[in-house]
Amino acid sequence: MVPGTIRITREDIDPGKILQEAQSSTIGALVSFLGVVRDDGIERMDLEAYEEVAEEELARIREQAIARFAVSHVDIIHRVGMLSVGDHIVMIVVGASHRKAAFQGCEFIIDRIKESVPIWKKEYTTDGSRWVAGEHG
Amino acid sequence: MTMICVRVRAFARYRELFGERVEVTVPAPATVRDVVMAVGQSNPIGMGELVDSSGRVKPSVIILVNRERVTGSHREDHPVAGGDEVAIYPPVAGG
Repeated sequence: MVPGTIRITREDIDPGKILQEAQSSTIGALVSFLGVVRDDGIERMDLEAYEEVAEEELARIREQAIARFAVSHVDIIHRVGMLSVGDHIVMIVVGASHRKAAFQGCEFIIDRIKESVPIWKKEYTTDGSRWVAGEHG
Repeated sequence: MTMICVRVRAFARYRELFGERVEVTVPAPATVRDVVMAVGQSNPIGMGELVDSSGRVKPSVIILVNRERVTGSHREDHPVAGGDEVAIYPPVAGG
Protein backbone atom coordinates (compact mmCIF):
# COMPACT_ATOMS: atom_id res chain seq x y z
CA MET A 1 0.00 0.00 0.00
CA VAL A 2 1.63 3.20 -1.20
CA PRO A 3 0.76 6.20 1.00
CA GLY A 4 -0.74 9.41 -0.35
CA THR A 5 -4.11 10.90 -1.18
CA ILE A 6 -6.53 11.70 -3.97
CA ARG A 7 -8.63 14.82 -3.50
CA ILE A 8 -10.93 17.05 -5.52
CA THR A 9 -11.42 20.18 -3.50
CA ARG A 10 -12.87 23.68 -3.47
CA GLU A 11 -10.20 24.78 -1.00
CA ASP A 12 -6.76 26.17 -1.80
CA ILE A 13 -3.81 23.82 -2.06
CA ASP A 14 -0.92 24.40 0.37
CA PRO A 15 2.12 23.06 -1.53
CA GLY A 16 4.54 23.34 1.40
CA LYS A 17 2.26 21.40 3.72
CA ILE A 18 1.64 18.64 1.18
CA LEU A 19 5.37 18.24 0.46
CA GLN A 20 6.16 18.20 4.16
CA GLU A 21 3.61 15.50 4.83
CA ALA A 22 4.89 13.37 1.94
CA GLN A 23 8.35 13.03 3.44
CA SER A 24 9.46 9.78 5.01
CA SER A 25 12.70 8.05 5.88
CA THR A 26 12.55 5.80 2.80
CA ILE A 27 12.01 8.60 0.27
CA GLY A 28 15.11 10.11 -1.32
CA ALA A 29 13.34 12.16 -4.00
CA LEU A 30 10.10 14.11 -3.99
CA VAL A 31 8.97 15.52 -7.33
CA SER A 32 6.01 17.87 -7.44
CA PHE A 33 3.97 19.37 -10.22
CA LEU A 34 1.94 22.47 -9.47
CA GLY A 35 -0.48 23.73 -12.12
CA VAL A 36 -1.25 27.44 -11.80
CA VAL A 37 -3.79 29.74 -13.48
CA ARG A 38 -1.84 31.66 -16.12
CA ASP A 39 -2.66 35.21 -17.17
CA ASP A 40 -3.80 34.75 -20.75
CA GLY A 41 -5.82 37.93 -20.60
CA ILE A 42 -8.36 36.21 -18.36
CA GLU A 43 -9.93 37.51 -15.18
CA ARG A 44 -10.87 34.18 -13.65
CA MET A 45 -11.43 30.55 -14.43
CA ASP A 46 -14.22 28.22 -13.35
CA LEU A 47 -13.31 24.56 -12.99
CA GLU A 48 -16.06 21.98 -13.24
CA ALA A 49 -15.77 18.24 -12.62
CA TYR A 50 -17.88 15.10 -12.81
CA GLU A 51 -16.60 14.55 -9.32
CA GLU A 52 -17.52 10.90 -8.70
CA VAL A 53 -15.99 9.76 -11.98
CA ALA A 54 -13.04 12.16 -11.72
CA GLU A 55 -12.10 10.69 -8.33
CA GLU A 56 -12.34 7.15 -9.67
CA GLU A 57 -10.22 8.09 -12.66
CA LEU A 58 -7.59 9.83 -10.52
CA ALA A 59 -7.40 6.70 -8.34
CA ARG A 60 -6.96 4.55 -11.46
CA ILE A 61 -4.15 6.81 -12.75
CA ARG A 62 -2.50 6.71 -9.34
CA GLU A 63 -2.55 2.90 -9.34
CA GLN A 64 -1.14 2.81 -12.88
CA ALA A 65 1.75 5.06 -11.83
CA ILE A 66 2.45 2.86 -8.81
CA ALA A 67 2.40 -0.29 -10.96
CA ARG A 68 4.64 1.22 -13.61
CA PHE A 69 7.28 3.11 -11.62
CA ALA A 70 9.17 2.41 -8.40
CA VAL A 71 7.35 5.10 -6.44
CA SER A 72 6.57 5.04 -2.75
CA HIS A 73 4.26 8.05 -2.25
CA VAL A 74 1.65 9.65 -4.55
CA ASP A 75 -0.64 12.61 -3.86
CA ILE A 76 -3.01 14.05 -6.48
CA ILE A 77 -5.06 17.11 -5.52
CA HIS A 78 -7.22 18.96 -8.04
CA ARG A 79 -9.17 22.15 -7.46
CA VAL A 80 -12.68 22.88 -8.69
CA GLY A 81 -14.65 26.12 -8.50
CA MET A 82 -13.77 29.71 -9.36
CA LEU A 83 -10.05 30.50 -9.50
CA SER A 84 -8.05 33.68 -10.19
CA VAL A 85 -4.73 34.21 -11.94
CA GLY A 86 -1.99 32.73 -9.77
CA ASP A 87 -4.27 30.26 -7.99
CA HIS A 88 -3.26 26.62 -7.79
CA ILE A 89 -5.16 24.25 -10.09
CA VAL A 90 -3.56 20.88 -9.46
CA MET A 91 -0.75 19.48 -7.36
CA ILE A 92 0.92 16.13 -7.83
CA VAL A 93 3.56 14.86 -5.43
CA VAL A 94 5.48 11.70 -6.18
CA GLY A 95 8.02 10.26 -3.77
CA ALA A 96 10.55 7.54 -4.57
CA SER A 97 13.88 6.21 -3.36
CA HIS A 98 15.53 7.78 -6.39
CA ARG A 99 14.80 10.80 -8.56
CA LYS A 100 14.23 9.09 -11.90
CA ALA A 101 11.16 7.13 -10.84
CA ALA A 102 9.76 10.21 -9.10
CA PHE A 103 10.15 12.39 -12.23
CA GLN A 104 8.72 9.73 -14.51
CA GLY A 105 5.79 8.99 -12.22
CA CYS A 106 4.91 12.66 -11.89
CA GLU A 107 5.00 13.30 -15.64
CA PHE A 108 2.95 10.17 -16.33
CA ILE A 109 0.25 11.32 -13.91
CA ILE A 110 -0.19 14.87 -15.24
CA ASP A 111 -0.24 13.60 -18.84
CA ARG A 112 -2.95 11.06 -18.00
CA ILE A 113 -5.00 13.62 -16.08
CA LYS A 114 -5.14 15.82 -19.17
CA GLU A 115 -6.27 12.86 -21.27
CA SER A 116 -9.01 11.25 -19.27
CA VAL A 117 -10.20 12.92 -16.07
CA PRO A 118 -13.60 14.63 -16.53
CA ILE A 119 -12.67 18.19 -15.56
CA TRP A 120 -13.31 21.30 -17.66
CA LYS A 121 -12.22 24.94 -17.51
CA LYS A 122 -14.24 27.97 -18.41
CA GLU A 123 -12.26 31.17 -18.79
CA TYR A 124 -13.77 34.59 -18.10
CA THR A 125 -12.36 37.66 -19.83
CA THR A 126 -13.53 41.26 -19.93
CA ASP A 127 -15.34 40.35 -23.18
CA GLY A 128 -17.16 37.29 -21.99
CA SER A 129 -16.40 33.65 -21.40
CA ARG A 130 -15.14 30.60 -23.28
CA TRP A 131 -14.62 26.91 -22.57
CA VAL A 132 -11.03 25.74 -22.84
CA ALA A 133 -11.02 23.25 -25.72
CA GLY A 134 -10.22 19.73 -24.62
CA GLU A 135 -7.94 17.71 -26.86
CA HIS A 136 -8.83 14.31 -25.53
CA GLY A 137 -11.92 12.25 -24.99
CA MET B 1 -45.28 0.45 -25.70
CA THR B 2 -43.32 0.46 -22.46
CA MET B 3 -41.63 3.74 -21.65
CA ILE B 4 -38.63 4.05 -19.36
CA CYS B 5 -37.20 6.99 -17.50
CA VAL B 6 -33.44 7.62 -17.74
CA ARG B 7 -31.48 10.10 -15.66
CA VAL B 8 -29.03 12.21 -17.65
CA ARG B 9 -26.18 14.32 -16.36
CA ALA B 10 -24.50 16.84 -18.64
CA PHE B 11 -21.27 18.70 -18.02
CA ALA B 12 -19.46 21.82 -19.18
CA ARG B 13 -20.88 23.18 -22.47
CA TYR B 14 -23.52 20.44 -22.58
CA ARG B 15 -24.70 21.36 -19.09
CA GLU B 16 -25.26 24.92 -20.30
CA LEU B 17 -27.17 23.68 -23.34
CA PHE B 18 -29.30 20.93 -21.81
CA GLY B 19 -29.24 21.32 -18.03
CA GLU B 20 -27.16 19.70 -15.32
CA ARG B 21 -29.54 16.87 -14.44
CA VAL B 22 -32.45 15.99 -16.67
CA GLU B 23 -34.75 13.02 -17.00
CA VAL B 24 -35.82 11.72 -20.39
CA THR B 25 -38.54 9.22 -21.17
CA VAL B 26 -37.83 6.87 -24.06
CA PRO B 27 -39.46 3.68 -25.39
CA ALA B 28 -37.99 0.37 -24.22
CA PRO B 29 -35.76 -1.27 -25.29
CA ALA B 30 -33.68 1.91 -25.40
CA THR B 31 -30.15 2.65 -26.58
CA VAL B 32 -27.60 5.38 -25.99
CA ARG B 33 -28.72 6.91 -29.30
CA ASP B 34 -32.34 7.18 -28.11
CA VAL B 35 -31.25 8.92 -24.93
CA VAL B 36 -28.90 11.36 -26.68
CA MET B 37 -31.61 12.24 -29.25
CA ALA B 38 -34.15 12.81 -26.47
CA VAL B 39 -31.73 15.13 -24.66
CA GLY B 40 -30.94 17.02 -27.86
CA GLN B 41 -34.61 17.60 -28.64
CA SER B 42 -34.86 19.97 -25.69
CA ASN B 43 -32.58 22.42 -27.49
CA PRO B 44 -32.42 22.53 -31.30
CA ILE B 45 -29.18 24.53 -31.25
CA GLY B 46 -27.64 22.06 -28.85
CA MET B 47 -28.72 19.09 -30.96
CA GLY B 48 -26.08 20.06 -33.51
CA GLU B 49 -23.42 19.68 -30.82
CA LEU B 50 -24.43 16.08 -30.15
CA VAL B 51 -25.49 14.67 -33.51
CA ASP B 52 -24.07 15.09 -37.02
CA SER B 53 -26.08 15.75 -40.18
CA SER B 54 -26.58 12.02 -40.81
CA GLY B 55 -28.05 11.50 -37.36
CA ARG B 56 -25.04 9.85 -35.73
CA VAL B 57 -23.80 10.80 -32.30
CA LYS B 58 -20.62 12.82 -32.84
CA PRO B 59 -17.36 11.08 -31.82
CA SER B 60 -16.46 14.13 -29.71
CA VAL B 61 -19.40 13.43 -27.38
CA ILE B 62 -18.19 11.33 -24.47
CA ILE B 63 -20.82 8.98 -23.07
CA LEU B 64 -20.93 7.10 -19.79
CA VAL B 65 -23.63 4.71 -18.65
CA ASN B 66 -23.68 4.19 -14.90
CA ARG B 67 -20.25 5.86 -14.71
CA GLU B 68 -18.69 3.45 -17.20
CA ARG B 69 -17.39 4.87 -20.47
CA VAL B 70 -19.15 3.55 -23.56
CA THR B 71 -16.76 3.35 -26.53
CA GLY B 72 -16.37 1.67 -29.90
CA SER B 73 -18.03 2.00 -33.27
CA HIS B 74 -21.30 0.53 -31.99
CA ARG B 75 -21.53 2.62 -28.85
CA GLU B 76 -24.77 4.24 -30.01
CA ASP B 77 -26.43 0.82 -29.78
CA HIS B 78 -25.38 0.29 -26.17
CA PRO B 79 -28.51 -0.62 -24.19
CA VAL B 80 -29.93 1.71 -21.56
CA ALA B 81 -32.40 0.52 -18.92
CA GLY B 82 -34.90 2.39 -16.78
CA GLY B 83 -33.18 4.10 -13.85
CA ASP B 84 -29.76 4.10 -15.53
CA GLU B 85 -27.62 7.21 -15.27
CA VAL B 86 -26.25 8.42 -18.60
CA ALA B 87 -23.60 11.15 -18.61
CA ILE B 88 -22.60 13.22 -21.63
CA TYR B 89 -19.66 15.57 -21.83
CA PRO B 90 -17.21 17.20 -24.25
CA PRO B 91 -13.45 16.42 -24.37
CA VAL B 92 -11.83 17.00 -20.99
CA ALA B 93 -9.49 19.90 -20.19
CA GLY B 94 -8.32 19.46 -16.61
CA GLY B 95 -4.84 19.57 -15.12
